[in-house]
Amino acid sequence: MEGHQRNLYLYERLNARVAGVSRDQVDTLKYWAEDLGLSFPVFSNSIGHIGIWFETLEAGYPMFSRKTVIIDKWGVIRYMQAGHPDYRAILTLLKQLHEEEATR
Amino acid sequence: MKRAMWESRTPGLLTALYIALLLSACAPMTSKVVDPLVQLQQPDGSVVWQKEYRFVPPPAPWQLIDLDEDDYSIAFMKICTDGYPCQSTLAYAEEPFGYSRDFEERQAEFFKRFLWASRVNFATPELRKVKIMGQDGLEAITVGIEPVLKHKVRCKILFFRRGERVVAFYYTQWRDEGKSFDTADETDFDRFAESFSFLLPSFYERLFSQSP
Repeated sequence: MEGHQRNLYLYERLNARVAGVSRDQVDTLKYWAEDLGLSFPVFSNSIGHIGIWFETLEAGYPMFSRKTVIIDKWGVIRYMQAGHPDYRAILTLLKQLHEEEATR
Repeated sequence: MKRAMWESRTPGLLTALYIALLLSACAPMTSKVVDPLVQLQQPDGSVVWQKEYRFVPPPAPWQLIDLDEDDYSIAFMKICTDGYPCQSTLAYAEEPFGYSRDFEERQAEFFKRFLWASRVNFATPELRKVKIMGQDGLEAITVGIEPVLKHKVRCKILFFRRGERVVAFYYTQWRDEGKSFDTADETDFDRFAESFSFLLPSFYERLFSQSP
């Protein structure tokens, strides 16, 4: 999350917005986001349906894994990557999507 | 009958094979430890790393750390035997902890996360404006105490800019609370930082100037 906060000014240049999703409760997330200094929204999904939609449940493992998803402005999922975010890959794709936006 | 004999001999054969493997594992190692930096060394003693960074590596016994995380871009460690813990680390980090592009705000964010897993309580850092690669930078020096194990760590962090991003040189030295710090290692760190230069624009600079 801190990496996304660090890149926020670049996301804004590329007309992208970032949101975090967690299974923690709202109060926990409020404290956590404040402590980390996050200025983008972090959503509480304590029921877990978003994690199920994006297939973050690994077989045989009862917890959601970390996943980065990029959705373009037309609602199409353009990127899904499990594990630690690859910030350079994310920025490279966002730049490509930003250029696509200009030509559509 | 033959089958029975084979079955009865099989454990013996496996044991012999196992012992042979054990013995071969005990044979003296003839291969030398390869220093990956030697092949990259330039005539002037500097090293070109990933075609992007040039620096003079610290002298032995400093050793390049094999990085399996992205906390550091390049890092060296030196272990000593004067009690425990007794080690120093120096590094260049492309993505130091924190997110602000203002140095003073960044150092405050940085020390909230740095060595977090070691449960260190840092003293308020001494801050000093410095020049790094001819540009404005910020030096932050502090000592952290691990109160349970009675360990201490001296940290010197040099924040500066690469393009519009904040990058940093790190130096840490761990000692037992009763031991004094060894300043020679910090001199090696200073030399490493002074020798450092960039041979290419960063990924972030290239992102907006051309197709990365």
